[in-house]
Amino acid sequence: MKFSFKHMVLLAGLTLSMPSCSFFEVEDTIDPNNPTLESILTNASRIQINQLGIGIQSALRNGRSNFVLVAGSIGREIYNLASTELTWTTELLGSTNGGFSATTLFNGYYADFSQTRRRAEFFKMAAENSAPGALTDAEKDGIRGFVNTVEAYTMLNMLNMQYKNGIRIKYTDLYSPGDLLKPGPFVSYEEGLKEIRRLLDEGATQLAAGGATFGFTMTSGYAGFNTPATFRKVNRALAARTAMYQQDWTGMLTLLNDSFLDLNGPMTTGPNFTYSTTSGDITNPQFQQMNTTASPVVAQSLFITEAEPGDTRVAKKVTKRSSVRAMNGIIGEYDVSLYPTSTLPISIIRNEELILMYAEAMMQTGKLAEAVTALDKVRVAAGLKELAVAKPTVVNNKAALIDELLNQRRYSLFYEGFRWFDMRRYGRLDQLPNDQPNHKVYEQLIRPFAEVQWDAKNPQ
Amino acid sequence: MKQFYAFLLVWLVVGGLGRVWAQDRTLSGKITSSTDGSPLPGVNVVAKGSSKGSVSDADGNYTLAAPAGTKTLVFSYIGFLTQEAPVPASSNTVNIAMTEAAQSLDEVIVSGLATSVKRSNAANAVARITADELVGKTRPVTLDAAMSGKIVGANIVQNSGAPGGGISVKLRGISSINGSSEPLYVVDGVFVNNSQFATGAGSGSFSGAGTNQDQAPNRISDINPADIESMEILKGPSAAAIYGTRANAGVIIITTKKGKAGKTKVSFGQDIGFSSAIRLLGSEGWSLDPIGPEGQNKFDYVFGNGTPGSGSKTEIELWQKATAEGKIYDYEKYIYGNTGHISNTRLSVSGGNDKTKFYFAAGLNDETGIQKGTGFQRKSIRLNVDHKLAKWIDFSIGSNYMRTGAQRSFSGNDNRGVSIGYTLAYTPNYAQLFPVNGVYPLSRYTGDSPIAIAERTINDEMTNRFIQSFTSNVYFLQKPNSTLKLALQGGLDYVNTEAEVYFPEDLQSQLTRATPGASRYSKNRSFNTNLQAFLIYNWQLAGGKIDLTSQVGAVRLTTDNDFSWIQGDGLLPKQKNPNTGSVRTFNETWQAWQDVGLVAQQEANYQDKIIGTLGIRFDKSSLNGDNQKWYSFPRASLAVNVAKFDFWSYDPISQLKLRAAFGRTGGVPAYGNIFTSLGTTIIDGQLGSVVPTTVGNPTIEPETAQEIEWGIDLGFLKNRIGLEATYYDKQIFNLLNPYTLSSGTGVTQFNAYPVGDLQNRGIELGLNLVPVEMSNFTWTSSVQYWFNRSKITRLEIPNTTVGSGFSIYGRNQLRLGESPTRWFGSPNVPDENGVAQATRYEDAQPRYQISFSNQIKLFQHFDFGFLLHTSQGNFNSNLTTKQKDTGGTTVDWSQVDNLYGNVGLPNGRARLPTNPNVTAREFIQDASYVRLREVSLYYTLPKTLLTRAFNNVVSNIRVGASAQNPLTWTNYQGYDPEASNFGNQSVGASVDNAAFPNSKRLFFHLAVDF
Repeated sequence: MKFSFKHMVLLAGLTLSMPSCSFFEVEDTIDPNNPTLESILTNASRIQINQLGIGIQSALRNGRSNFVLVAGSIGREIYNLASTELTWTTELLGSTNGGFSATTLFNGYYADFSQTRRRAEFFKMAAENSAPGALTDAEKDGIRGFVNTVEAYTMLNMLNMQYKNGIRIKYTDLYSPGDLLKPGPFVSYEEGLKEIRRLLDEGATQLAAGGATFGFTMTSGYAGFNTPATFRKVNRALAARTAMYQQDWTGMLTLLNDSFLDLNGPMTTGPNFTYSTTSGDITNPQFQQMNTTASPVVAQSLFITEAEPGDTRVAKKVTKRSSVRAMNGIIGEYDVSLYPTSTLPISIIRNEELILMYAEAMMQTGKLAEAVTALDKVRVAAGLKELAVAKPTVVNNKAALIDELLNQRRYSLFYEGFRWFDMRRYGRLDQLPNDQPNHKVYEQLIRPFAEVQWDAKNPQ
Repeated sequence: MKQFYAFLLVWLVVGGLGRVWAQDRTLSGKITSSTDGSPLPGVNVVAKGSSKGSVSDADGNYTLAAPAGTKTLVFSYIGFLTQEAPVPASSNTVNIAMTEAAQSLDEVIVSGLATSVKRSNAANAVARITADELVGKTRPVTLDAAMSGKIVGANIVQNSGAPGGGISVKLRGISSINGSSEPLYVVDGVFVNNSQFATGAGSGSFSGAGTNQDQAPNRISDINPADIESMEILKGPSAAAIYGTRANAGVIIITTKKGKAGKTKVSFGQDIGFSSAIRLLGSEGWSLDPIGPEGQNKFDYVFGNGTPGSGSKTEIELWQKATAEGKIYDYEKYIYGNTGHISNTRLSVSGGNDKTKFYFAAGLNDETGIQKGTGFQRKSIRLNVDHKLAKWIDFSIGSNYMRTGAQRSFSGNDNRGVSIGYTLAYTPNYAQLFPVNGVYPLSRYTGDSPIAIAERTINDEMTNRFIQSFTSNVYFLQKPNSTLKLALQGGLDYVNTEAEVYFPEDLQSQLTRATPGASRYSKNRSFNTNLQAFLIYNWQLAGGKIDLTSQVGAVRLTTDNDFSWIQGDGLLPKQKNPNTGSVRTFNETWQAWQDVGLVAQQEANYQDKIIGTLGIRFDKSSLNGDNQKWYSFPRASLAVNVAKFDFWSYDPISQLKLRAAFGRTGGVPAYGNIFTSLGTTIIDGQLGSVVPTTVGNPTIEPETAQEIEWGIDLGFLKNRIGLEATYYDKQIFNLLNPYTLSSGTGVTQFNAYPVGDLQNRGIELGLNLVPVEMSNFTWTSSVQYWFNRSKITRLEIPNTTVGSGFSIYGRNQLRLGESPTRWFGSPNVPDENGVAQATRYEDAQPRYQISFSNQIKLFQHFDFGFLLHTSQGNFNSNLTTKQKDTGGTTVDWSQVDNLYGNVGLPNGRARLPTNPNVTAREFIQDASYVRLREVSLYYTLPKTLLTRAFNNVVSNIRVGASAQNPLTWTNYQGYDPEASNFGNQSVGASVDNAAFPNSKRLFFHLAVDF
C-alpha cells in the first residue's frame, strides 16, 4: 500500500469529520439530581408552597439534639459520656485550658437554627411571590404569621445559648451574592429579646388575619394547633416564654391568657416535634438505648439524690444502668430515659411549662397564693403532696417559693434546655455542681468561629 | 597452534598496515543487559574513529563491517551507559554486557500531548521512573506506593495500612484547598480515574465517622504496577501546561510495556511474601498499686472519679477474676499481630516482527492483611498491539481489564465506638471478649467489641475496570528534512466499584439503634473518555541546523458518573440483603461533564545546543460558571546546552545545561459547585422541600496555577556523575474554597469561591553517580534532596479553618502569610483586635526530604539494592495516645513523669486535655521518620548453567529476596508516621486517629524467561 492522493482525501475527510460540532461543544449544566432554588422563588405553585411548609416543619426539628445536650451538660442535668469525642466531658464542662476552643463543636445548634430561620424566610418569600391564585390573601397572612413564629423560636434558642454575646437580628437578602456580605451587627441580649417579642407580636396579628385554615399541611405534631387561630395560641405561649427571660411579669401574664394555658388541663397538651423510622425522616434524637457504652447520656447524680421522695418524674426520666459508666472522672449511674422509643414525639412547648410560667409570674407580682395553686398542679401531677402539706413553710415565703419553682422546673423540664438558663437568670450558676475540681460552669457559649472571623474581616 | 594464529594476525596487521586500513574486517558479537542477561536489540555499535556502524538484531546479535584497524567499539543504547570495548587482535567476536544508566540523557521524555524530547534537551526537571526502579526491586502493592521516596519534589503519604492502598501523592506542595491535589494520571494516553468512591462505611448506621471518612482506596490501585514500562512525572505547570485545566496538581504519564520485534519471549514471575505490622503500641496492665498523689490506683482514675477508692468495684473484681484464671489477653496483638500472606504471579508473552508487535500480560495479586479477614486481590489482563499498516500509517491499541477487591474492616475515626483502633484503646487486657459457643460477649468499655467488629462485619469492595487506549499516526509527508503527520489518540476508562458494608443485627453497636442491623450496597460507576487529534509538522531550516516542530490539535474529555446505593436498616436476622431491612433508604446521584481544549505549540532546536518551546492551550469546561468561555494556558521554555557549543573545551564537565520554563495550568471547579438546589426532607410521611444551606456560585472560574522553573544540569566525567538542580516558584491564583459565611445568615458557605492565592516554592536536587564501574562490580547511586514551602499570599475571606480535623487537637487554617497545611490549636490567644485566635504550630508538610538509592552489581550475577528515605519536620495531629490514655491502655500510663507540671499524676492522666497545661502541643506531634523503603538481593543464574540444564528452553532465571519498609526510625507515637484519617485531601489530611497499622513486607522472588 502506498500513500496516494486518494488516501489523502480520505484522511482529510476523516480529520474534518471528527472535530465536528459535538466535539467542540460542552453541555449546559443543570443539576440533574435536584430542583433549583429559582423554581420556587417566583410563581411557586400551591404544591410547591405546601412542600416548603412541610419542609419547615421538618427543619424546625434540627438543632434540638445539640441544643439540649450542650445546655443540659452546662446546666449539669446530664453528661454525654462519649468515648469517641472526649470534649463532651472536658471542654464543655469547663476543664480545658482556655475555655472553649475557637472552633468548638458545641455551636452546632447555632448553624441549625439559623438555617431554619432562613428557610422560613424563603418560605414566606415564595408564598408572597407565588403563582396567581395559588394562595388566598388570608393564606399568605397565615404563612407570614407561621414564619414569624418559627423565626422567633429559633432566635430565642440561639440567644439564650449566646447570652451576652448577643445575636444578629438583621440580614439582607441572602441569595444575591453581594448581599451575603452584609449581615447586621450583633445586638445585646436585651435587644435580641425585644426583637423576638416584636416578631411574635407581628406574627400573632398575621395569624389573626390568617383565615380558617393554613395554605399548607400542618403535620400531626401540631394536632389541636393546626389552624391560624389555634397556632396563634402557640405563638402567644412562646411570647410568654420570651417575656419570662425579659422579666416582664405582667406582659407574661397577658400572653399566657392568650395562650393554651389550662391550669386544670393535662400537663402534656401542646405542639410536638414528631419522628418516625420512615425512609428520609429522622428518629427522636434524644432517644437512646439503655446501658450503652459508646456515648451514653447519663443524669448528673444529684438529679436522683436531691429529688423529693415519691417524685414520679425521676423514675420516668432516668433509669439505673446495669453497670456504672465512668469517663474522665464522671460517674454515670443513671441513663437518661426521657424517650423510651425512637419515634416518640418531643414537646415544643406544653401546658406543664405554661403552668410553671404562670406560677412564676404570679409570685413575681406578689400573688403568692395563685403561685402556690399553680405549683401544686404540677406537684400533684408528679405524685407529690401539695405544698401546704409537704412544705408548709414555703407557702408564704417568696424567696422559698422561687427555690421551689426552680426545683419544679428542674424536674418537669429535665433535659429540655431550661435548667442552665433558669439558674443563670436567678444568678445561681455557682450553685450548679461540678463533678471534678477543675470543672467550671460557663455563663454562655463562645461566639461561633465563623461569626468571629467574619466580623474580624468585615468590621461593621 | 593458537600462538601461531596470533602471531600470524599480528604480522598481518603490522605488516599490512599501509593497505589494510582500506580493508574491512567483519566483527560480530552478542549484546546483553548486565541486569538480567537478556539480549538487547537495537543497540548502536560504532567502530571508534570511523563512521561505520551497525545495530543489533532482535536476539542482541550484531555484525559490523569495521575498518581493519579498529581497536575499539562504542556501544550506545537508550537507558544504558555508553560503553567502549576493545577489539581483540585475535578474535572477531566482541560480546558485551551493558550497564543501565543511573539516569540516561538520551531517554525521551514528553514535551507535548503528541511530541517528546530527549532528556538532554528538556527544559524541565521531569522525573522518570523505569519499570525496574518502580517494582523491579520489591513489590509495593500499588503503583503509587511504589513511587514512595523515588520522586524528587513529591510528598507521598500512605493514608492507612489497610490492604489495597490509599495513597496521597502531592507534587510540589498542594495546589488546591478544597479540590484534589492529586496529580492527573494518564496511562498510554488515557485519562484514568483516581477517585476514592464512597462506600458508606463512615455513615451513621456504621462507624458514624462522617462523610469523606469511608477510608476507601484510591482507584489507581487497580493498575498492575508490573505492566508499567516507565512513568514520567510532570511536577508543575511549567511542564504540564499542555494538559490545561486538569493539570494543576501535575501529571503522571504512564507508559505500559510494548512488544519488541524478535523471538517471542515468555516471562513468568512469582513472588511469595509476608507482611507484619511495623509497630504495635502495646497495652499496660492493671494493678491496685497506689500511683496518684493521694494514693489513688489506676482503677480510681479510669473507672472512678479520681478520688482514692472510687474505682469501680466491678472492674476490680473482673480484673482479679481474669488474673486468677490466667485470662489476660493482648487484644491488639490478636487483631493486628498476624502475618499477612502475599502471592504475586505474572505471566507475559511478547514479541512480533517489523510490522506487528504484541505484549500480553496477566497478573494475579493476592494478599491477606495483618488483620484477619482483610485483604486485597487484583486480577489484571493486558494486551498491547502495535501495527504498521503501511509506511505512512501505524496504530497501537492497548486493552486492560482489571478486577480488584479489597476487604478493609473498620479503622480510623469513629463516632459509635466501633472502629477497631478506638475499641482497642479502651479495652483493658482483662476484658473477656472471645466468643463463647459462637456468641461474642458484649464489651463493657466501648460501643462494640473489637473482636466482633473484626470477625463479624463486612467492609468490602470489588471493582471491575476496563481501560482501552488507541493511538494512530498517519504520515502525509515523509521527506528527509520534513514530515507531516496526523496523530490521533483516544481512550476510555470504565470503572465500576461495588461496595458492601454490613453490620449484623445482633452486633453490640447495632443493639443500641432503633433499627438494628444495617447493610449498604453501593454501586459507583464512572465512565471517562478522551479523544485528541494533532497535526505535527517537523521541518528543518538552515541546512538542517535548526529543527522545528509545529503542532496544532484539539482534545475532548468527558466524564459520566452514576453513584447509587441502597441501605437497609433493621435487617431480618442473619440477612445481608438491604431489601430485608425494615427501613430502606437509597440514593442516586448523576454527574456528567465535558472539557474541550485547543492546543498550538512550536518547538525549535538549534543543533541540540539551544532548544526552545512556545505553546498555548485554550480550554473550556461545562464545570465552569460560563461553559462557553475559553481559558488560556500559555507555556514557554528554553534550554541551553553550554557544553555542546564548540567553544566548550573543558572535558571533565561533559554536560552543562541551563534551563528555564514557564507555564500555566488550571483546576476546574468540582461538579455541582454552580448549583443552588432545593433539598428534600420527610416528616410525618410527607415530602417536604427545604432551601439549601450552601449556595452555588454560578460565576465560578477555574483555579489557575503559574510556575517558573529554573535549573541547571551538570554532567561530569562522561556523565558518570550527574547533578540536577531545580528551583521553582509556583503560584496558584483564585483558589477555590467554600467561602464560610457568617453562620447566622443560615447559609454556611458558598460552595466554591475564589478566596485567595497560594505560593509554593522549593528546591529539588538530584545527584546521580556511578562510583564504580568494573566488569565484576558496578555501583550506581543516587541522592535526592527536596523541600517545598507554601504560603497564602492573598486572602479575600476571614481566617477560616479548612479541611477536616478535631478542634482542640489541631486544625489547618487559611491565614495570610501562612502555609495552609500549618496546624493551629489550643490555647486560644486574643490577637490585637481582641479576637481569640488559635495558637500557631508546625506544618504538616515536611521541612525537607532526602532519598538515597543504591544499586550494586557483583560478579555479573548478584544485584543488591536499597532505598533509604527520610521525611523531616512533618507534623501530624495525633489522637491515638489520647484515646489510649482515656482507656488506660497506654504502655506508660502508670508512670509518673510529672508531665505538663502535673506533679504526682500518672502520665495517662497528666497528658489528658482536661489538665490546664495540656494544649494542642500534646497532639501535634513530630512525624519525621527515616525509613528503609526497599532492600533487595537478586541472583541471576549463569547462562552456561541454564544451557546445560534446560537445553536453551530457558533463557534466564533470576531468584531473589526483598523487603519493603523493613526498618523505620521515628519518635512518632502512633502506629506509623504516615497516616491520613481523611484520605486524599489537600488540607487537613495528616490526622492520625487510630489508623490501621502500616506493615512491612518481606518477599521471595522467582523470575523465569523462556
